Amino acid sequence: MASATTQQHLLLSPAELAYLHSSLSLTPPVRPDGRTATQFRPLTAETGVLPAANGSARVCFADGTEAVVGVKAEVEKRKVLPLSKGHEQIRESDGDDAVAGENDWVEITVEIPGYRDDDSSTVFLATMLSEALLADGEFTKKLWINRRFHWKLYIDQIILISPPLSYPLPLLSLTTHLALLSTRLPRLKSEADEDPMFDDDWDASRFIYPRQSSDTTSATVGSRPPVTLLVMAVGDNIIFDPSKEELAVADSALAVSVGERNAPVDEASETMDVDGEPQAGRQLRLLSVRTIDPPSRLTAPGVPNAVNAAAWGQGGPVAKDPGARAAEIDDVEGVWKAPRGGTKVAILGAMVQKVLEKGGIAEEVLDGLDAVDLG
Amino acid sequence: MPLDTSTYNLALLRIDGRRWNELRQLRGQIRTQAAADGSSYLEMGNTKIMCVVTGPSEEGKRRNQGASSASAAGSGSSTSASATNAADILVSVVVGGFSTVDRKKRARSDKRIQELQATLAKSLAAVLHTHLFPRSTISLSLHILSQDGSLLACMINAATLALVDAGVPMTDYLVACSAGSTSSHSAADERADPLIDLNNQEEQELPFLTVGTLGASDKVVVLVCESRVQVSRLEGMMVAAADGCVNIRAYLDSVVREKGHRMVAEGAVEKGASMAMDIDV
Repeated sequence: MASATTQQHLLLSPAELAYLHSSLSLTPPVRPDGRTATQFRPLTAETGVLPAANGSARVCFADGTEAVVGVKAEVEKRKVLPLSKGHEQIRESDGDDAVAGENDWVEITVEIPGYRDDDSSTVFLATMLSEALLADGEFTKKLWINRRFHWKLYIDQIILISPPLSYPLPLLSLTTHLALLSTRLPRLKSEADEDPMFDDDWDASRFIYPRQSSDTTSATVGSRPPVTLLVMAVGDNIIFDPSKEELAVADSALAVSVGERNAPVDEASETMDVDGEPQAGRQLRLLSVRTIDPPSRLTAPGVPNAVNAAAWGQGGPVAKDPGARAAEIDDVEGVWKAPRGGTKVAILGAMVQKVLEKGGIAEEVLDGLDAVDLG
Repeated sequence: MPLDTSTYNLALLRIDGRRWNELRQLRGQIRTQAAADGSSYLEMGNTKIMCVVTGPSEEGKRRNQGASSASAAGSGSSTSASATNAADILVSVVVGGFSTVDRKKRARSDKRIQELQATLAKSLAAVLHTHLFPRSTISLSLHILSQDGSLLACMINAATLALVDAGVPMTDYLVACSAGSTSSHSAADERADPLIDLNNQEEQELPFLTVGTLGASDKVVVLVCESRVQVSRLEGMMVAAADGCVNIRAYLDSVVREKGHRMVAEGAVEKGASMAMDIDV
């Protein structure tokens, strides 16, 4: 599905692919740019680049791919619910102030110059990002104003370099993360279910994801926008932040979305938590996992002419060419063979585990993002 | 949009405090993307545009491979005057949904955007020495990050900067400036002044045009006027806009020279050295 953005302009010969694949499956893997398996490429980031938006960020990867994300919020009237259902809801929310959001309060669009608006790859990227964002249902609650009105959040993402030089999902995810962290909504002045009135003073506005320092004001704060990381496996090696060339020989690639919760630990009912030790450091939560089709998956495996219906009559009978079957199935040194069959469950599990483990990659990334100054 | 430019006559000051012949603040950067062949960032007041140039490169493959939108944008905007003997210029404009006050998403097929693309491609084709790159493509993508009037002018200026960075030979800088006229009422309105470099408020209220000139000369390359203007005002507006173009050219040239100076001083182009895009919130 994500083929259009994963496989662009990759001019590697089968021999090069085989070399790359074998060096990545060594222990420890040898990567073309000399990084370790878990090392990220450096990136530059800044927030608050667009004064006209509620929040914005710009991130530049080391390979030169760059993205700008702007978050814009608009007040929208809530859809009228069917009568009976509406009554129930109101009664429900009278009891406790049940703040509930809906998923269509957030709209994410990805724009890559040279791609159509409805290109499957951009739609797929946007869906993956919104999936992670909406996974825990916490985010849309922040957009609740009152029972009649809510914020509608538009997250517009632009990739500046086209075609992107590597699979743009991590870039977009990190940029969105920063943009959301810097997003501010004006302070509400009206009360209850009145038509909303807002404070003109931008200094009085509140962050949609409040910083820890201002935690004291409310109890529900603490979570952070999710981060989606790209992880790939070659053999038994798990490699993070793959470059375009590395992705080309991946046996499997996963987009792992991780959220963080700083809330008090007493919620023992959180069975979803796949975190390490709950006490120290960050509490990470797995929000979603998606498999990405690496280009290697899109390569049709070679079929000997003898068994190829399209080349009927071209090749000799199978018996005459005993090496054909071996060449198709066995690993031959120096010959690139696209991976076939599914990924082992154990490897998928290990990939997710490696992201979430204590002191693992997700923590490292979040620490790095913490260092970005939110204008 | 009920807005008052009638106060202009009182002090001869515009809404944002400028006089008739003053430009808004210009801020430009060149070579902002290390990975692109050429890139630039230009602010004219609150209109902010980023331009990325790819090419001149071999045509065809990229266009066919990079999904059909490139060719769709190309068919609308490319100037294939003599397709084999000169480089094609492909322009794609990406309007960020966040660029206006109210979020408005413009589809790629929006007629307005297509017209901007076509205008830009045609005017650049007139200035660039495309005949030096037969059977190749120069593709520009312009990202509109924030818009507040004079959009076409800012796009042309940003494209010029990026093309200078990409090293595409051109006759001279193609610079553009918009101009409007305060005379909206009667032909006998003797005291009407031309205004240059309109912002969004003024554009909605006054008749205006965009003039692109070849460098500091009076040679007009682009002239776009989409509103009703009294013929007697037209000349004044064009002269004022051409004057603005002279100033803009001087500024763009200073940006290029400054960057060139720095590159020479450093000995080489340092990667990522121009990352700072300092916009205040």
